[in-house]
Amino acid sequence: MTQRNTSLARRMAQALVACAVAVSMAFCVGVALAPAGAQALTTNKATARPNEQGGDGVIGGENTRLTWEGTVDAGEQVESITLSLPEGASFDGSTTRITVLEGLNRVSVDGTATPAGDTLKVSFATPIPEGSLLRLEVTDMKFPEAGGDYAVGGSYVNQAGQTEALNDSPTVSVIANTPLQRVVTWLDGQAWVSAWNSNAFLGMFLKPQLIVTSLATLFPGWLLCLLIVIVAYPFAIALGLAFAFMKMSRHKPVRAIAIVYINVLRGTPLFLQIYIAFFGLPMLGVNINNTILGIVVMAINSSAYLAEIFRAGIESIPVGQYEAAASLGMNRSQTMVSIILPQTVRRVIPTVTSDFIMSYKDTSLLSSVGVMELMMFAKNLTTVSGNITPYMAAAIFYLIVTLPLSKVVGNIEKRLAHAEKGTGPRPKTTGEATENA
Amino acid sequence: MPRKKHVSVDIPEVPPALSAEEAAARAYEHDKPLTKHSFESHEHPIVRIEHLNKSFDETLVLKDVNLDVWPGEVVVVLGPSGSGKSTMLRCINLLETPTAGHILIEDEEITGSGKTDVNKLRQNLGMVFQSFNLFPHLTAKENVMIGQTKVLGKTKEEAEREALVQLDAVGLGDRADFTPAQLSGGQQQRVAIARAVAMHPDVLLFDEPTSALDPELVRGVLDVMRDLAENGGMTMIVVTHEMGFARDVADRAVFMEDGVVVEQGLPENVFDHPENERTAEFLGSIQAK
Ligand SMILES: Nc1ncnc2c1ncn2[C@@H]1O[C@H](COP(=O)(O)OP(=O)(O)O)[C@@H](O)[C@H]1O
Ligand SMILES: [Mg+2]
Repeated sequence: MTQRNTSLARRMAQALVACAVAVSMAFCVGVALAPAGAQALTTNKATARPNEQGGDGVIGGENTRLTWEGTVDAGEQVESITLSLPEGASFDGSTTRITVLEGLNRVSVDGTATPAGDTLKVSFATPIPEGSLLRLEVTDMKFPEAGGDYAVGGSYVNQAGQTEALNDSPTVSVIANTPLQRVVTWLDGQAWVSAWNSNAFLGMFLKPQLIVTSLATLFPGWLLCLLIVIVAYPFAIALGLAFAFMKMSRHKPVRAIAIVYINVLRGTPLFLQIYIAFFGLPMLGVNINNTILGIVVMAINSSAYLAEIFRAGIESIPVGQYEAAASLGMNRSQTMVSIILPQTVRRVIPTVTSDFIMSYKDTSLLSSVGVMELMMFAKNLTTVSGNITPYMAAAIFYLIVTLPLSKVVGNIEKRLAHAEKGTGPRPKTTGEATENA
Repeated sequence: MPRKKHVSVDIPEVPPALSAEEAAARAYEHDKPLTKHSFESHEHPIVRIEHLNKSFDETLVLKDVNLDVWPGEVVVVLGPSGSGKSTMLRCINLLETPTAGHILIEDEEITGSGKTDVNKLRQNLGMVFQSFNLFPHLTAKENVMIGQTKVLGKTKEEAEREALVQLDAVGLGDRADFTPAQLSGGQQQRVAIARAVAMHPDVLLFDEPTSALDPELVRGVLDVMRDLAENGGMTMIVVTHEMGFARDVADRAVFMEDGVVVEQGLPENVFDHPENERTAEFLGSIQAK
């Protein structure tokens, strides 16, 4: 704080002096120069080096390297320059490298950088000559934690001691420093993490920092996988049921349609079906949203498998059930709805759940056609980070759905076995049991 | 696939359907059989089977079967396995479609013309199967309720009340919430009987109701059937080899062999003094067991 105050005071003093000089100058020669009005030190660019673990973003509140470049126009020389960033940025603790290019020649210039909170003043031992390119590389500075688009502004002092404003640089996009980011930063600093990562396998497949970032980055992809399969499945069930009944139809053409549908879809890879849909439809001028098309392809593919599951399920119901229903005077649809389908549902739940698990895993194939699902995110993150850990994180996302579901299948199968044998809990009898009477 | 060999079988042509007047007139054509049942005057048979033929593919399994069953009568049908007993029973409620002949239920022809409402007909003809055929996904009570609600259009409350009455009647009031798998075979068959009776049919058809049961469970089922016959006044056609039940409860015994009714009459006459040689042989074989 004290440092900031003193530096502020110093700057104000400098500004006053500069003002006085500028005013007198203006009276003498300034009139001639003024109409030009041109920027005498033009900011070319300002960029920051990505500091995101396994990514290419610039995170606020984390050390990064700011590169600022400007051109000294003709008739101007620069004594010192002050870069400034909005409140919250910090140059404190940074080191600055000065590069001056006159044409293609590198000119050696010494200077001292004085960080002061969100400003950095660099005073040059010798003024930067006119027409040269000035580059400042400020290592270990920080952008504001909040994130946003930040322009580097500031001022400079020319050979005449005048202080001139710098035009704002193009903005640098800065990612807000999230709790996740802080976790990663914290992990970066842990000794055990370094030790862990020094193991070739662990560091490549299970890098802790990347596990954390991957889980966060892959999350939307996981949601999309779930969305695709959860939206697709009810349609698949309805379609599957329809084709199951068609395959059991008394009419040969109807049966034939169902048989072709089921056999073609089950007899070709889903991967191929995805390619045909995603590349074929646009050729016909049909452009459907990727996610919706993905849902449609998954639904159609699953429906063929479900049709066979349902058909087998319905056909496994003994003929005596139909006869018993008929003997009560039930018609075909009453028999189906009240007697056959409820029993079929019980029988096919385990198989259908297994098929659901398959479909959920198979959404990964949609990454090949640009659907932003789990695999797509994992692939991107692996490409950027050069590390396999994002794939491991993807595995976790698949498993947190498939493992509990497999367990559910197992439990249902056990319950069904009990129900079939009549073992398991019984309801209370209201009176004395009448075993053989 | 090789084409089916064409074998010519002597299957009679399906005769034209009877008009209502014709059907009514025919009711008097037959002599009343020897039966314990006491007739009211001018009574019509509730089930009339005339020249019934049924073939599966090329095999004729029912050959000109004639049988009348009178309201309130209990008829026991017996005969060797494969003689066509089940097929005849299933033709009565059209689980099988007769190839030729007439079946009249309460003077209404159900064969020939296509205008019979099969579902309506079956409401009136309860059937009890050898293998119970309870609905395994429903409790005993729900098994008895479902026909009432879905077919008769009763409310849940009405159906439930009736179901509990019928389950009580077969001695299973305390097992209303058990699923079939939690019940013994005998209990399951009693639920199946309750299910059929709850529809208040005019005729009950039993197809070997006790032959899938362990011997110690048979009596409970037969007691229920006896109660239905003696106290319920139910018309029953019972395919069974339970001689004791046949003697005590049946009004008439019918012996079938090879798709033909070979002999019929009072149970004790048929059992003790069979006129037909095959009947005697068959009775000997089951009594030897
Ligand atoms: N659905 C069917 N298809 C072909 N043959 C059948 C069918 N049902 C019964 N049969 C045959 O009809 C004959 C009579 O069978 P069934 O009526 O079951 O005899 P029962 O009940 O007296 O043992 C048997 O030869 C049997 O094989
Ligand atoms: Mg039989």
